[in-house]
Amino acid sequence: MVDVEGGSNDMNVSLFIPCTVDVMMPEIGVATHGLLTNLGVQTIYHKEQTCCGQPLFNAGYRDQARKAAKHFIDVFGEDEWIVSPSGSCVCMVKYHYPELLEDEPLWHNRAQDLAGRIYELSQFVVDILKVSDVGAKYAGKVAYHESCHILRGLNISDQPKKLIAGVEGTQLVDFNNSAACCGFGGEFSIHYPEISEAMVKDKVTNFITSGADILLLCEPGCLLNISGYLHRNHPGRKAQHLACFLVENIKKV
Amino acid sequence: MPVREEILRRLKSAVKIANIDRPAKPTLSEMTMNREQMIQRFQIELAAQTGVLYQVGNKEDARRILTDIIKAENLKSFIASADHIHGIHITSLCSENGIPVTFPGDFKERDTLREAAFNADAGITSADFGVAETGTIGIIFNPKHPRLISIAPPVHIAVMSVKDLYPVYENVMEKFFLNEKNIPSQFSFITGPSATADIQGIAFKGMHGPKKIFVIMMMDDS
Amino acid sequence: MRADVGKFMETARQELKNQQSQMFLMMVSLGAPLLRQIGMSSFPDPVAAESYVRAIRAEVIARMPELLEEFERSATARGAKVLWARDAAQANNMILDIARQRNVSYVMKGKSMITEEIGLNEYLISNGIEALETDLGEVITQNLSLPPFHLVGPAINVPPAKISKAFLKKGIIEKETIDPVELGGGARKYLREKFRHLQMGIVGINMAVAQTGTIINVENEGNIRLIKSSPKTLVAIMSLEKVIPTMEDAVYMTRILARNCTGQKLTTYVSMDTGPKKHDELDGPEELFIIILDNGRSAIYENHHTREILKCIRCGACLNTCPVYTKIGGYPYGSTYCGPIGQVLTPMLSGMEKTTDLYRACTLCGMCKKICPAGIDHPSLLLSYRAREIDGNKKKGKKLENAMASLVSMGMSHRWLWNLGVNMTRPLLNRFAHDGAINNIPVGVQGWFRCRDLQAMPAKTFHETWDDLQSDSVPSEKTKHMEDS
Repeated sequence: MVDVEGGSNDMNVSLFIPCTVDVMMPEIGVATHGLLTNLGVQTIYHKEQTCCGQPLFNAGYRDQARKAAKHFIDVFGEDEWIVSPSGSCVCMVKYHYPELLEDEPLWHNRAQDLAGRIYELSQFVVDILKVSDVGAKYAGKVAYHESCHILRGLNISDQPKKLIAGVEGTQLVDFNNSAACCGFGGEFSIHYPEISEAMVKDKVTNFITSGADILLLCEPGCLLNISGYLHRNHPGRKAQHLACFLVENIKKV
Repeated sequence: MPVREEILRRLKSAVKIANIDRPAKPTLSEMTMNREQMIQRFQIELAAQTGVLYQVGNKEDARRILTDIIKAENLKSFIASADHIHGIHITSLCSENGIPVTFPGDFKERDTLREAAFNADAGITSADFGVAETGTIGIIFNPKHPRLISIAPPVHIAVMSVKDLYPVYENVMEKFFLNEKNIPSQFSFITGPSATADIQGIAFKGMHGPKKIFVIMMMDDS
Repeated sequence: MRADVGKFMETARQELKNQQSQMFLMMVSLGAPLLRQIGMSSFPDPVAAESYVRAIRAEVIARMPELLEEFERSATARGAKVLWARDAAQANNMILDIARQRNVSYVMKGKSMITEEIGLNEYLISNGIEALETDLGEVITQNLSLPPFHLVGPAINVPPAKISKAFLKKGIIEKETIDPVELGGGARKYLREKFRHLQMGIVGINMAVAQTGTIINVENEGNIRLIKSSPKTLVAIMSLEKVIPTMEDAVYMTRILARNCTGQKLTTYVSMDTGPKKHDELDGPEELFIIILDNGRSAIYENHHTREILKCIRCGACLNTCPVYTKIGGYPYGSTYCGPIGQVLTPMLSGMEKTTDLYRACTLCGMCKKICPAGIDHPSLLLSYRAREIDGNKKKGKKLENAMASLVSMGMSHRWLWNLGVNMTRPLLNRFAHDGAINNIPVGVQGWFRCRDLQAMPAKTFHETWDDLQSDSVPSEKTKHMEDS
C-alpha cells in the first residue's frame, strides 16, 4: 500500500469501466481497480453500467445516445469520484452529455453536475491522490502515445508522464509525433480502412524507431487499434495500457 | 425584394448572440524600439527577404550608391516616381550614367505609362514609410506617384528617410490614415521582392513583381 | 481531373499510392506546422495574439449585417460600386455583363477561392471571354485542369515535368525544362504580355474594412498589384464573411494570417484599395466594382452553430495538421475547399447528401480545432452533421439502421440485455479466432481487419470478473439492491 497524501482510506471511487474494457480488455478494469485499491482507495463498481453511448453519438444517433446517457446518469448520479481508464469516455460524459440533454433542464443540470465529478485515471491518481510513484519497478525503455481525447480533449499530458517517471528504472523515450492521431476514431477505422491503416502504420513506425520496449497509452480504443496492428504486422512488439503496466510491475513487498 | 435587402434581412433576423468583449490588444515587443534598434531590425528583416538596405548620410552618398547599383545590375533604363526624390536629382543621376528615365509627368494616359513601366529595367521611387517589424516599406499612391512604377520593373529602388521609419504597422495607420477624408486610393506594404514557392515548394524571387529590391535610407535629419 | 466528392475514397486510394503526393504531404505535415510555430513564437505572447484574433472574428460574426452595411456605405462614399449577389449564377452574370459592356475579350484574375467556388472561369470562357489565372499555382492548375491539392499551394505537388509539358503546349515556355525558376520565368513573360493590354481585372478580397470601405489583398507574387494597377476596370468579389471592423483590426489580422498560412511574418505585398483611382491618377482602376456574394452564407449564418464556419480566414493551418488530409491531399475532397475547413463548409454549400464522406472521414482528433486561429470547432460541427444525416435518414424511412441503433441503446440501458448481446456475440466472433486472435470475419466490420487483428473476446466481461474481485472492495448500495431484486 502506498501512502496517499491527497486521498484518504475513506475515499470511495466509482469505477467507470468503458464498454471496450468490459467486453474486450477486462484486464484494464482489473488493473484500474488494483491500482486504486493499492493506493488505499475503496472502489465501487455499479453493475448496471454498460457504455457511455459515445459510439452512438459519434455516428449521429443522438436519440439513442441520449438513452444511454440517461442510464449512465442514473447509475453514477450520486458518486463523488468517478474514475475511468479512458479519455474519450470521460470527454463524452463531461462535454457531450450536457449538450445532448440541453433541451431537458433537469437532466441537463444533472449532467453538468456529474461533469465536475468525473476523472480520467492518471489525472485522478496524480492530481487528486497526489501520487506519482505507485511503487512500481521496470528496467527498460517505454514510449507514451498521447491520445487525442486525453491530450486535446482533457489537457492531460503531464500526469501519465509523471506516473511513468515514478516507475523505478524506467526510461521514457522521445517518440516522434507522439501526439498524432493513431487512426482509430471509432467507426473511422472500419469505414475508412485505408486511411486508418496509413495512420496506424506511421504511429507504429515511430514507436519502433523510438527504441522503446513498450508503447504505453491511456486509451482503450487506441490500444485495440495499435495492438491489433502490431499483432498482424510486428508480432512480439507490445502496446499496453498504463494501468496494466503499473500494476504488473508493482514491487512485491 | 432586391437581393441586398433579402440578404440583409436574413442576416438580421437570425437571432443575435451577445457581442464578444475584446480582450486587451496584446502588445508587441517592437513597440518600444529606439531608432538604432529599428534600423537594425529593419535591415535584418529585409535581408531575410534578400532585400538590401543602404544607409546613406546625404544625397551625394546616395548618388554614389545608386550609380553602383546601376552598374552592378546593368540597368539600362529607369522609370521614376519623381524628378527629386529625397533631394536626389534623378535626371542628372541618369544622364551621368547615360541612361534614359521617364517620369509620371511624361504620360498623359495609362497605356503609355504602362508601356514605359513594363519596358524599364528598374523603377526608382520614394517610399512614404518603413516599418521595422518586418523590413517593410510602404507607398501611398497618388496622382504624382503611380502604382506601376514599383511593381512592374524587375528591379525596385526605394528611397526613404529614416525619419519615416516606425516600429510597427499601427504607427503607420495612426500617422497616415486616421484622417478619413484623405484615404488614398491605394497604399501598399512591400516586404522584399516578389516571391513564390508554388512549384514543389521551391522558393524563388521575381514571379510577377521585382526580382530585387534596394532600399536607400537617408540618414540626415535635415 | 474533375473534383468529385462522390469519389472520395476512390480518389483517396489513388493518392495513398501516389508517391509524389505522399512526398509532398509529408513535407507539408512536417514543415508547415513548424514554420507556423516559429512565426507565432515571434509574438511576445502567442496565446494572447490568438485570443485577440479569435475575438475579432467572433465580433465579425456577431455584427455581420451592420458591418456589411457600414462597409457598403464607406466604399460607396469613396466611389466604389457595390453590388450584391445572391448566388453563383447571379455573380457570374454580373461579371459577364460588366465584361461584355466594356467589350473585353479577356480578363486576368488573382487567386480567389470564391471565384473557383462559383465556377467563374468556366462561365466566362463558355461565354467567349478568356479568363486567365495569374497566380503561379493557379496558372498550373488551370493549364493542367487539376483541382487544388492544397488551399494555399494548389499545385505544389505537381512535378515540374508535367508543368513543362502543359506550358510548352500553351506557348508559355519555348523549350522543355524542369527548373521551377525557368517555368516561373516563362509564366512571368507570357502573362506580362497579357498584362500589357489588360482592360479588366478580377480579384478576391482578403479583408473588407467596414470603417473605411477599403479592400485588402495579401499576396507574394505581385500579380494582384498588377491587376489592381493597370486595367481600367477592376472587379473585386467577396463572400459575406470577409468584412472586418477597422483598419487596425485588419492590420493585426494580416500578421496572424501570414504566420498561419506560410509562417511568414507578412506576405510580400499587402495592397489596400479604397475606391477607384482618384481623378487625376494615371493608373489604378477608373471603375471599382465590389461584389458582395451570399452563395449560401446567409443560410449558414442563420444557424448559430454553423455560423462559426464563417470565421475562417482561409489560412490553411487546419490542413497542415489534419492526419487525414496529410495522408490523402486535396483531391478527394472534391471542391474548392479541402481539409477540415472543406469538411465543414462544403456540406453546407453542396448539401449533406452528396458529401457524407466529408463529415464522416474524420477521427475527431481535434488538431484542427486546436490550431485554428479563428476559433472554429470543426469536430463539433462534423458531429452535428452526422446527427443531421441520421435524422434525415429517419425521416426518409431508412428504418433498419435506426432500429439497430435503438437495439444497441437498449442494450446500453439494460445490463441484462447487454450481457445477452455479449454472450451471443462471443461464440460467433471467437469461431474465427486462431491462437487467441481473429484476423478476418466473413461479414460485418471487415474494414477493421484490413491491416489489424482483433484479440478474441475474453471468456468473461469485466462485469463477470468483478465478483472475483469483491473481496477487495465494498459493494455499492446500488449493486446490492439490484442483486437483491
